[in-house]
Amino acid sequence: MSMRAPSKLPIVISCLVIIALALVATGSVAHAQEAGSSSEPGQSKGYDEAEAISIDRMLMCPVCPAETIDQAQVEVSRQMRLIVREMLSQGSSRDEILDFFVGNYGADILAAPPKSGFNLLAWIVPAVAIVAVLVVGFLVIRSMTGRGVQPAPAASGSEEDLAPYLEAVDRDLGLDLGLLATPGGSNPTARADRAEIPPPEEGLSKDV
Amino acid sequence: MSDLGAISLWIALVLAGYAAVGSVVGKVRNVPALVESSRRAVYLVLLALVVATLSLVASFITNDFEVAYVALHSDLAMPARFTWVAFYAGNEGSLLYIAFVLAAVSALVVWRVQPSLRDTMPYTTAILMVIVVFFLAVMGFMANPFDKLPFVPPDGEGINPLLTHLGMFFHPPALMAGLVFTAVPFSFSLGSLIGGKTGDEWVDAGRVWGLVAWGLLASGLLLGSWWAYTILGWGGFWFWDPVENAALMPFLGLTAFIHSIMVQKRRGMFRMWNILLINVAFGLALYGMFMNRGGPVPSVHSFGASSLGWTFLIFLGVGVVVPLIVFFWRYPLIKSAQRLDSMISREAAFLVNNLLLLAVAFVTLWGSVYPLISRLFTGNEITVARPFYDQVNGPLFLGLLFVMGVGPLLPWRRTTPAGVGKALLRPGSFALAVVVVLLALGLRQPYALIAFGLGAMVTAGIFLEWYRGARSRHRSMGENYLLAWLRLIGANRPRYGGYIVHLAVVMVALGIVGSSFFGTQRDVVLAPGDSFTIEDYELRFMGTVEVPHSNRTEFVSTIEVYRDGRLLEILYPRRDFYPAFNMAATRAAIRSTPVEDLYVVPSENLADGKVGFRFLVNPLMWWMWVAGPVLVLGTLVALWPQPSPARARVAARIPAGSRASPA
Repeated sequence: MSMRAPSKLPIVISCLVIIALALVATGSVAHAQEAGSSSEPGQSKGYDEAEAISIDRMLMCPVCPAETIDQAQVEVSRQMRLIVREMLSQGSSRDEILDFFVGNYGADILAAPPKSGFNLLAWIVPAVAIVAVLVVGFLVIRSMTGRGVQPAPAASGSEEDLAPYLEAVDRDLGLDLGLLATPGGSNPTARADRAEIPPPEEGLSKDV
Repeated sequence: MSDLGAISLWIALVLAGYAAVGSVVGKVRNVPALVESSRRAVYLVLLALVVATLSLVASFITNDFEVAYVALHSDLAMPARFTWVAFYAGNEGSLLYIAFVLAAVSALVVWRVQPSLRDTMPYTTAILMVIVVFFLAVMGFMANPFDKLPFVPPDGEGINPLLTHLGMFFHPPALMAGLVFTAVPFSFSLGSLIGGKTGDEWVDAGRVWGLVAWGLLASGLLLGSWWAYTILGWGGFWFWDPVENAALMPFLGLTAFIHSIMVQKRRGMFRMWNILLINVAFGLALYGMFMNRGGPVPSVHSFGASSLGWTFLIFLGVGVVVPLIVFFWRYPLIKSAQRLDSMISREAAFLVNNLLLLAVAFVTLWGSVYPLISRLFTGNEITVARPFYDQVNGPLFLGLLFVMGVGPLLPWRRTTPAGVGKALLRPGSFALAVVVVLLALGLRQPYALIAFGLGAMVTAGIFLEWYRGARSRHRSMGENYLLAWLRLIGANRPRYGGYIVHLAVVMVALGIVGSSFFGTQRDVVLAPGDSFTIEDYELRFMGTVEVPHSNRTEFVSTIEVYRDGRLLEILYPRRDFYPAFNMAATRAAIRSTPVEDLYVVPSENLADGKVGFRFLVNPLMWWMWVAGPVLVLGTLVALWPQPSPARARVAARIPAGSRASPA
């Protein structure tokens, strides 16, 4: 079983991918650091453009369906973007800016429901749903496996006896299958599975 | 010509009704001739709809503006090739398109029937025909594409300029076809259930058609994103708009289905679950159609025919309730052949994948309906848009990515924790290495780090398995690595086709993470001769030229792109003004590389020659669009039939018995 057989190809590929990702990331890091440092000509400086954009993304364009003001190209959203930047440069916080717009346009100007009052429901239900899904999934799997978490049955004597024969069969067939991506393909517990007669469905498997 | 179309619609309606009733009555009363006659009626339905379709096409080509639909969606200036787009640009025409596609696929379905399904085929035919009847009735009574105007206008309104884009040639038809094709596996499932066949009879057909629908929806969604990216002029590709969500949800349902159906195909498990899943997917597809036609939430996609809303809502209700009733009626007959052997197995991973996908679908549905709930209970208007979905769906997508990395490494039936550890060792260490490298490079966003790490794990897992399989063939059969790899894929197409799709999903994830976490966006007003620096690009605005066309004026700006003082490329972003619509459509100019996109769009042309530009640098976007063809390829590989069942069977038995975990 040459689990540690010289598999240079994956290493080479890994290196290449790492290098590629690294190159990409360098570019990305540059962006992250640059955010806010450059400002548009003719605009008052002294605010963080990245923050301004992230606020833009939390405000709906009042006249266009389903677009936030960073997307919408209409005049009113352009003016709202300017107001966001003006307020930021005057030192307003994100919440103050959002409150300002809610005061003027009502709560539906916000792109996401506020996390307070009745609207908390909007956020709680997904959280509950996710937890419920995990719990249900766990319970279903456990009930389907019968007696809860159960380790794969240990190899019984007779099955273990079979192991060498199975290996011989593998060899004769010229199928070096122990090397395949079968987790535990070379450990004795998993080998026990081999001894089982595959159910009819298994006959259709078309590996290798 | 249009009269012929209108008449054909009614003929199709009568024939489809006959086919639906006839197949059920023939089956129940045991009159084979009636069943056969109903089956053949399906072909005639298709024929009638071909005539109707051609007749509408002819009306477009001959500029028959007496037909209201033609007058509203085309004009004399429209090039003939846009007839394809204009055909489904409005409510009535898209209904005809849907009915036509459904009739075509129904004819295909009843043409060749696998033996195991013959017995229940009349029910399946009837279900398909009931759906056809619905669409035809809606057209006939409420939204007839062949309705005439009381006068003949000299020219039409013209096609919506936003639609004159390559993406529009494929995005709407692919999505609508995908939604409709969901009806096919649904009909197989429901038909078998009604007929009392509660085993695996429908699984092969259901899987194949589910995959086809899935591939269509996936390509439709990607094409729509690409269209939005290049034409809507804000530099993004996904709104979380209610109708986008409505297309995403059935896609998620089908994704769950095509995974879990594999478990039934291979192991005879999850029988009830698969029936429920395809019902859910079909219900979500109906919901998508409902949202598209007079849904209650404003959207950029609405056809705006509010009178149809109730009709589709009722149909949605019927489409959800009836299958559930049948399911509970047949419930005692459904038994899964096998129990789950272990918590740590591929079956269990599939189940977790299913649940996560359904969770995303549910959360998205919840976000779509929450504004209604708020209006109902508090009277407050509330918006649920991007920030909400990003926050709640983001972690779920990461979870999916994780399952996508781990699931395929687990064997069927069972393994031990140690076995899992061993399987995960290399992909896991590779993922860690990637994360460490990215950290060292200064990447700090936890989401992005996790996503890149998981993407690396998925990729490594796939390539490792391919490498091992190819090496094994190389050694045992002396094939060279490329050939060995190709034969490896050919030998288990559902599995390795799926792997190719997984790679495409990783590519999409790269695009999403890159552009949403590391994108830069600037809005600037430039006068000719000005330049502006974004990231390491220097952009020089050279001026704007007006190019008049018969139906629009193009304002073409010239932007020279420099990096390190060297001219990289000259971009020509455009803004087209359509006087007839009093609207402008932008065409972004994009310099796309695997590392990042430089995106330039003129958002307004000011009077004094100045132009308001939006510049974006979107890292990794390229991968998202390249993922499209990869995804289609993977789907085709997974769908491609095995060369000959007999041969495959013998070849397969050897490895199946000889190893721990036949994949």
